[in-house]
Amino acid sequence: MEKVQLNINGFTRIVLVDPHETILDTLRNRLFLTGTKKCCDEGTCGSCTMLIDSKPVLGCLTPTVRCVGKEIVTIEGISSGDDLHPVQKHLVKNGGMQCGFCTPGVVMTAIPYLEENPNPSVNDIKEGLSGNLCRCTGYKKIIEAVKDAAEELNT
Amino acid sequence: MSYYFKPATITEALSLASDYSNNYVYFGGGTDLQIYRKQKLIKDEAIIDLSGLTDTYRIQADGNALRLGAFVTLDDITSAPEIQKLFPLLAEAAASVATPVIRKTATIGGNLLVNNRCTFYNQSKEWRDAVGSCMREVGATCLVTGGKDKCFSRNVSDTAPALITLNATVTVQTQKGEDEIPLKEIYAPDGIKYHQHMDDAILTAIRVPEKPVDWWFKKLRLRKTLDFTSLTVAAAIDTAGMARVCLNGVSMSPILIEKPIADLTLEGLTRSARKNCKTVDNDLMPLKYRREMINVYLNEWWQTVKDK
Repeated sequence: MEKVQLNINGFTRIVLVDPHETILDTLRNRLFLTGTKKCCDEGTCGSCTMLIDSKPVLGCLTPTVRCVGKEIVTIEGISSGDDLHPVQKHLVKNGGMQCGFCTPGVVMTAIPYLEENPNPSVNDIKEGLSGNLCRCTGYKKIIEAVKDAAEELNT
Repeated sequence: MSYYFKPATITEALSLASDYSNNYVYFGGGTDLQIYRKQKLIKDEAIIDLSGLTDTYRIQADGNALRLGAFVTLDDITSAPEIQKLFPLLAEAAASVATPVIRKTATIGGNLLVNNRCTFYNQSKEWRDAVGSCMREVGATCLVTGGKDKCFSRNVSDTAPALITLNATVTVQTQKGEDEIPLKEIYAPDGIKYHQHMDDAILTAIRVPEKPVDWWFKKLRLRKTLDFTSLTVAAAIDTAGMARVCLNGVSMSPILIEKPIADLTLEGLTRSARKNCKTVDNDLMPLKYRREMINVYLNEWWQTVKDK
């Protein structure tokens, strides 16, 4: 076991982790931050996307030890209470979720994507979110929600 | 028990590797290796994380040549303006790998040295135990071919065929020193030991000598995102009129066909591609379809060359 100091959503946490443990397991099993979902656990579905130093990464493929000294932002750190981020707000408004299991991953992929591409077309959004699978197949509403969020962020 | 190391220099990384002899794994972006660990296909004791080697992060364009550090991510390659201008072939090949989020972590060095894949090997431990292990793991024969004593796993790198057609060389560092070798020489036509000259070595940089006159790239896969290649064809013609066509995903190593464009015929090209590709039924797409698509892609490229 290794003792590591992590900076998660602005809080400093000290945990004991296995050398090959992923940040997803550390967050969910040791720190009980279960907003980030564990779905395929092999980099296919994008449900575990989180921001490390403002870059989207897949939690199931990133060793915890590699996150030391970096700023980790999970879905819990995006908004507080009812004050939602525009991407979250439009997902709710447009019905961009059915079971909601892929939603944390969609939000965490869409936020850095819209920062990089402030004026995406529908095809750009499809490409940008192509790593996020929705088992309920509610893609159309998700794409509409991200498009609306992009418009709101631009105004 | 496993150990995690993050060396700050290449010398340190190489000496750690020699301390653990065959019981270590070099970790680049790690997007593929993590899955191998979870499927218990890699059980090495030491993880040597190479992300601390900061001098392998640079893209340097020098006239018409390009030098890439091995730790440059695929996303950086796709978006770098100098690569888009000089080597759009490389930018397109990098953009075709995995998903946008994975490309932000996956590195070019890791993609060049990606492990060979096979439907009977890249499965969960439970799946492999139920079906019976193939010779690449602990068994005695190849299960795809129904009992041959040779492994036919496929090389699935997409940037490798692109860089091979661009005549790239790689810098390989070992404890004996630094060596520059042509990229195509690191691949060996063997399903189990598919890389050569790479024992205890670290790939530190890639050099592309000159801008091609013409290029073409196409990747066959089930979905337009995430999937590993079923067939990648990259082609480039250099200033001396030499045409290089490289096929990957259909054999144990990338297959390069090199000929002056003046002497090249479509018939000769397809014949040598069919002869050199040791394609077996180890992909989600059926074997017959993949073999047919080799002809279709080569024909497609040939039509674009003929039109010019």
